[in-house]
Amino acid sequence: MKKTQNNQIFRRDFLKGLTALPFLGYFGFAFKDNIEREIQAKKKDSRETLGIDNFDATSEKLTRPTGNESNRIRIGLIGHGWRGEALLNSFGYFHPEYIEQMKKDNLYDQWLPYQKRHEDLFVDITGICDTFDIHAKRGMEVAQTDVRHENSGSKLLQYYTSYRELIESKNVDAIIVATPDHTHAQIAMEAARAGKHIYLEKPMAHNIEEAIELRNAIRETGVVLQVGHENRQQMSFKLGRELYQKGVLGTVSMVQTYTNRNTLFGAWIRERKFDHLGTPENINWKEFLGKAPWVDFDAKRYFNWHRYNDYGTGITGNDFSHTYDCINQVLDLGIPESVVALGGQYYYNVGKDDMPDVFNAIFNYPERGLTMTYDGTLKSGIYRQSRILGSEATMDIDRSIMLYKDPYSERFKDAATDPDDPFYYYAPNTNANVDGMTSATSKSYLKSGYGPTFIDGKVIDATFLHLKEWIDTIRTQGKASCNEDRGLEETITFCMANLSYALKKPICWNKVNETITIG
Amino acid sequence: MKIEKQYTTGQIISLTTLRILIGWHFLYEGLVKFYTPSWSAKSYLSGAVGPFESFFHNMAQSAWQLKIADLLNMWGLILIGLSLFCGFLSKPFKIFGILLLLMYYLAYPPFFGIGPGMHVEGSYWIVNKNLIEMAALLVLLFFPSSDVTGIDRFFNNNRKSKL
Repeated sequence: MKKTQNNQIFRRDFLKGLTALPFLGYFGFAFKDNIEREIQAKKKDSRETLGIDNFDATSEKLTRPTGNESNRIRIGLIGHGWRGEALLNSFGYFHPEYIEQMKKDNLYDQWLPYQKRHEDLFVDITGICDTFDIHAKRGMEVAQTDVRHENSGSKLLQYYTSYRELIESKNVDAIIVATPDHTHAQIAMEAARAGKHIYLEKPMAHNIEEAIELRNAIRETGVVLQVGHENRQQMSFKLGRELYQKGVLGTVSMVQTYTNRNTLFGAWIRERKFDHLGTPENINWKEFLGKAPWVDFDAKRYFNWHRYNDYGTGITGNDFSHTYDCINQVLDLGIPESVVALGGQYYYNVGKDDMPDVFNAIFNYPERGLTMTYDGTLKSGIYRQSRILGSEATMDIDRSIMLYKDPYSERFKDAATDPDDPFYYYAPNTNANVDGMTSATSKSYLKSGYGPTFIDGKVIDATFLHLKEWIDTIRTQGKASCNEDRGLEETITFCMANLSYALKKPICWNKVNETITIG
Repeated sequence: MKIEKQYTTGQIISLTTLRILIGWHFLYEGLVKFYTPSWSAKSYLSGAVGPFESFFHNMAQSAWQLKIADLLNMWGLILIGLSLFCGFLSKPFKIFGILLLLMYYLAYPPFFGIGPGMHVEGSYWIVNKNLIEMAALLVLLFFPSSDVTGIDRFFNNNRKSKL
């Protein structure tokens, strides 16, 4: 009797210890099929979904270094405002105050290795020029603090009071121009004729005539021009171009672009750190005006030059020109046949010659069977990516890509995804966590794809890559990606919109004669 | 036998269910990796964000570290899963499971202002599913059920009877 009881206890104990086994049994019986289905689903990779053979863009490697001690390039910077300083930063030169701030913010230990990760381009900053003494002095301080090589910059470094002196200097092989828009083409043309290579901040020129003249000067002299649209290095736009060319979008009939801002700063009504120090004594007003009509010294016109048509190019030259180049990079749109634009100065009118703050334009490309729209307001901060509408799929593109299949798509009819949800996206994490960019304008700048990019398994500053491409092209004697032809397309396109707005008439482009007609 | 007497039937059923569910989850995750040709944690580690990202990025960059991370990940998940399922050697594997989940948590911490970017399922702030699964394993560690409804029962009982 006792033995039977013990047996029962033993059996109960034994079964209890194996409680989970039926579940494990079911798992073992069924998991293989399930896993195979799961792996198959995962294996159906993006190439298969998109119907393409390969992703060529994302497998791109960083180009090999071209520099060495014997072919160093000496660079002069003309215009050390915020952008000029940012360009020196891309070369690894930083103001001591900035470095101190990184240390205070406990970012220095992370930031320095990020800086050193960038390739040595074998360049020296040998000249700084600015029409505002205080900016020039700061530029000199920046150019003497090379954090990547931990030295005090070039012994040849010199402050030039006029850009002409800098261009003529024997210690300068190439120049970077980050001046107000109305001086871009003038400086670049003189530099080209002096045989100096040029990195020219966007836009390439202030008006159509200057753009054509500069394009011709570059062709004649053979110097290397790179217009500062660093989006050319952004992987998302390279990939967008590849997807378009491989037919993923089908027939593109419409492109929608936007740039919105909603702050005084974003509307270029600014009071920067050193602005209150500007006086006729420390600002070379005549040099600033250049070929612009004479007006007496006006600090507002000097520091907020973007807003004045004599110097700036308005919301289109500042913001749309970037977006346009991103789209041009993807679609090779070129110059539209005609443009109409409307808008007004409704909110921030600061006086004569002021720019519009609400602007809409339609660019017509009959040969391509498409139109492109641009909507920009300075009274709403809503962010929207550019959208390329195709017959098979629609692409939202900025630093990332989202593809939506068309409800009537033939190519993607088997893709299970709802047309409301993206069926493919490219969104690399390019957060290097090493910049102090937190304002709405700077966040939008990063999101739009002008900050770091992801290439060859690394996060690299797109402006650095754009500068590198320029430097490498000077050494290899080729053509940069944002050369005089791309710059010409950019300037003429936004200038047509500005003219249409100003004249309230359509503007047409004659591509044979390279002239415009009004109405 | 002591523990069995301390738990009510409801408690032992709940604890065993939780143990089997977590085991199922680990085992399946591990086996998917095992059966996926040339599976590697590289892209997961390369995309890590937050205060510890450089640790994970370095791991992705170094061939030997990545190899170890891949092996520990795949076999860790499988063995932890089996251990929880069967209730065998479950104490050390629960600790291993907590450590593994901690790594997942730290690689993509749901802190405000950082995160893997877009298309993340659900909304998380500090607490996410990894953290909850870690807490659940912690409960199982201190309220073990494998001594009752697992293979550990035989070993622990034998040991006790010897004592």
